[in-house]
Amino acid sequence: MSRLDLVVEICGSAGEGTISAGEILSRFMSEEGYDIMSFDSYPAEIRGFGKCVAHTRISRGGVLTPGKFADVLIALNDIHSIGQLSVLKEKGVLIYDNKPARYHLEDQSVVGWLEPGMTPYGIPLTELSIKASGNARARNMVALGAFSALFGIDRDAFTESIRRRYGKKQQAVIDSNVNSFLEGYAWTLENVRKMDSFRFDGMSAEVKRDQLIINGNEATAMGALAAGLHLYAGYPITPATKIMEIMSKELPKRGGIFLQTEDEISSIAHVIGAGFAGERAMTGTSGPGFCLMSEFTGLAVMAEVPAVIVDSQRGGPSTGMPTKHEQSDLNIALYGGSGDSPRVVIAPTCVEECYQAAVLALYIAEKYQTLVILLLDFFLSNSIKNMDPPTAPETKYLNAHIVPDAEALSDYKRFRITENGISPRTIPGTEGGMFFATGLEHDERGKPVYDTVSHTRMTEKRFRKHKGIATEIPAPEVSGYEGDADIGVVAWGSSAGAAREAVEYANEKGIKAACFSSLFISPFPESELKLFSKRCRKILVPEMNYSGQFANMIARYLERPMERLNLVTGLPMASEDILKKIEEIEYL
Amino acid sequence: MTQPFHLDEQIASVKDKGFLSFRTGELPTWCPGCGYFGITDAIYKACLELGLKNEEICAVSGIGCAGRFPVFMNVYGFHTLHGRSVPVASGVKLAREDLTVFAVAGDGDALGIGGGHLPHVARRNIDITLFLFDNSIYGLTKGQSSATTLYGQKTSSHPSGNPDTPVNPVKLALAYGASFVARGFAGDPEGLKHIVKAAIVHKGFSFVHITSPCVTFDKSNFTWNNLKENHSPIDTGLHDPGNMESAMRMAEHERFKIGIIFKDEKRLSYHDNLRQMALKPK
Ligand SMILES: Cc1ncc(C[n+]2csc(CCOP(=O)(O)OP(=O)(O)O)c2C)c(N)n1
Ligand code: SF4
Repeated sequence: MSRLDLVVEICGSAGEGTISAGEILSRFMSEEGYDIMSFDSYPAEIRGFGKCVAHTRISRGGVLTPGKFADVLIALNDIHSIGQLSVLKEKGVLIYDNKPARYHLEDQSVVGWLEPGMTPYGIPLTELSIKASGNARARNMVALGAFSALFGIDRDAFTESIRRRYGKKQQAVIDSNVNSFLEGYAWTLENVRKMDSFRFDGMSAEVKRDQLIINGNEATAMGALAAGLHLYAGYPITPATKIMEIMSKELPKRGGIFLQTEDEISSIAHVIGAGFAGERAMTGTSGPGFCLMSEFTGLAVMAEVPAVIVDSQRGGPSTGMPTKHEQSDLNIALYGGSGDSPRVVIAPTCVEECYQAAVLALYIAEKYQTLVILLLDFFLSNSIKNMDPPTAPETKYLNAHIVPDAEALSDYKRFRITENGISPRTIPGTEGGMFFATGLEHDERGKPVYDTVSHTRMTEKRFRKHKGIATEIPAPEVSGYEGDADIGVVAWGSSAGAAREAVEYANEKGIKAACFSSLFISPFPESELKLFSKRCRKILVPEMNYSGQFANMIARYLERPMERLNLVTGLPMASEDILKKIEEIEYL
Repeated sequence: MTQPFHLDEQIASVKDKGFLSFRTGELPTWCPGCGYFGITDAIYKACLELGLKNEEICAVSGIGCAGRFPVFMNVYGFHTLHGRSVPVASGVKLAREDLTVFAVAGDGDALGIGGGHLPHVARRNIDITLFLFDNSIYGLTKGQSSATTLYGQKTSSHPSGNPDTPVNPVKLALAYGASFVARGFAGDPEGLKHIVKAAIVHKGFSFVHITSPCVTFDKSNFTWNNLKENHSPIDTGLHDPGNMESAMRMAEHERFKIGIIFKDEKRLSYHDNLRQMALKPK
């Protein structure tokens, strides 16, 4: 193996410590300087003994996707794990509980279902857990001990990490976890002969204790708070609820306001009210709630009020698939609502970018007095990544109000037609700065008018803002083959990570492939895309929706035939799928 | 020949000399004889007498004839969406406690399309004042039935009579838990002014039901004559606004009594509540 790149899955029932074992493992690996990405799955029902899978990819290089298949499966529950064997790779490793047969119904030990070529390690998880802690509940820690012994993980460093993790708990809890881990480690070292080839080397080379391990919702919330968010109004909806929960804890501590509203219409209404009042405000939702906000998105644009909406997309349409992944709200984000209504759409491609995206969203909304939509998705909202603590935003991003000077105030025109489309705006409370804002078409003072000239000039002014915004957007991310390529993959949102990875794999196989993605979807770096397109023989647009919403959008810039990969599996885009498509395309 | 009339100049000449300082330079677009003139007059005067500054007031309205109100009031005005003045006004207030915030809505606006917001602003007790301009009809869209149109009343959407029973706005407000509920009449701007003042001063959500004729589209129900005949002030000797039972009885049986119907001065406003909760040990 050229570089270590391991996908570990822990599979068990809800309540067996499956997800927390995954967390402990990924935190430790991150501390040891590895890059990790986790994407866990929970049972759809809230209670009961549903199947949980903690899925973590651990690598020395940057991790771009959680990986579709697993190298190692740790089975805490046999019945659930039998089904999970389908994602274990051909040469995968299984760590299972070799408890005596009387514990099993016929044919229900996971090891009985293993394919030839896979390596099983039977560890008496239950027995060792009882021995070390007095009950069977610490099987997850025994399994981590066994895993560490098998793959050359530093025992003491891992023990310390567990201690830190449980640091605030009672001593008995710490001891039970640590002892179970050590028991599993010692037993495995003594009784198991290593038969696979996976190994972690150079442990503790570069210890990173201060890494954040967060998901996209957390990164978004952190970014918004760092950017001086003052009010958050929300209504619970999967997969955006976590943002609301964070705000409910964090905003009051900072003198801000959190409000759980009666519906999403009220959420966006409060955001726009607060924006009108001069404070930074945001709401978060998913497709169904975003639909309800449509009328207000137009008001934000027309009355020129800052507003930020986070839409974490899930499977649609209608109530759709609340706990499944999809990228199918691009159309409503770009075109939803009535009239010609320019809006900014930002789609972070990874957890780290969610932070930056939230800062930019609040900044742009305030400076350009307009609507910004932040498109997350189920995968970004729930996938967990390690990252360096972000640096605080520069001051320019923290106060972006453009206010009128004394001269302008003497004959104040709130909606003055300007070159860049921004009309200096007074904040309520400013003496002599009163104005009237409306969702009706209006003249420079805000007075409702419907004449041809005013509507034309005002429409142009609102669209002109996007020219300025276009100068502030980060450069697109271009990777892969640098010369004239056979294939250029143009991806967006969370599929971009899989695209970059697929292009890396394709390059390793000798295919001249390159990748293009942009954090901003509107305004879009059109000329950069055109340049990229010029050097690519073929263009492929992979996305998680059926109709090719993004491909349709860029078609008007590229005016050339494009290959498309449209999946509605409910799962995140996998690099394997894109690579397969790249290999299928005929290049002559 | 008469001199051309310039409203801007007229206003400039009286600026800082009285309630006209709250007028903008726009001529109201309401029909001559519309009750909304009287309401506007009362609100201007109340603001003046309370010594409020223009820049400290934010008037948020919905859509309808009533929604045009902020065009004519020289404050920070925001004409939003049909039915949504209440949550937007709430957002303004939550973000900026220092501002005096009004929500202005017609009966269709506040009780029809936007009716779902009322219980929530009331139970949160957000410190804003809702002026409900009730003409029992959709004025702006030319005379369709609204949530307060009488049963059987002929309207442009129900030419053979409205089959629906009207809601009772004051009863609703009380049931929803509004901490201040009052009724005023557009034809009694002086009385209305006092009610408006009390509503603005009240800390918490104030619901002011204001009956007003739509002279153009309602020729039978809320006409000037009917309203004038039916309206009478609350007998303050007989009714105590601190008594919910008495307020409920009045809401049910006295649909045209004007004055303060209910007032709970002890209940904390939303902001005060947040401050108090922050003090409690976790
Ligand atoms: C979502 C939406 N639906 C319908 C309308 C059309 N509309 C504008 S005002 C109005 C009714 C106004 O009646 P009311 O609220 O009673 O106010 P009034 O005009 O009587 O003052 C309607 C239906 C609209 N503007 N928006
Ligand atoms: S239509 Fe009715 S409510 Fe509207 S301005 Fe005319 S009289 Fe007033």
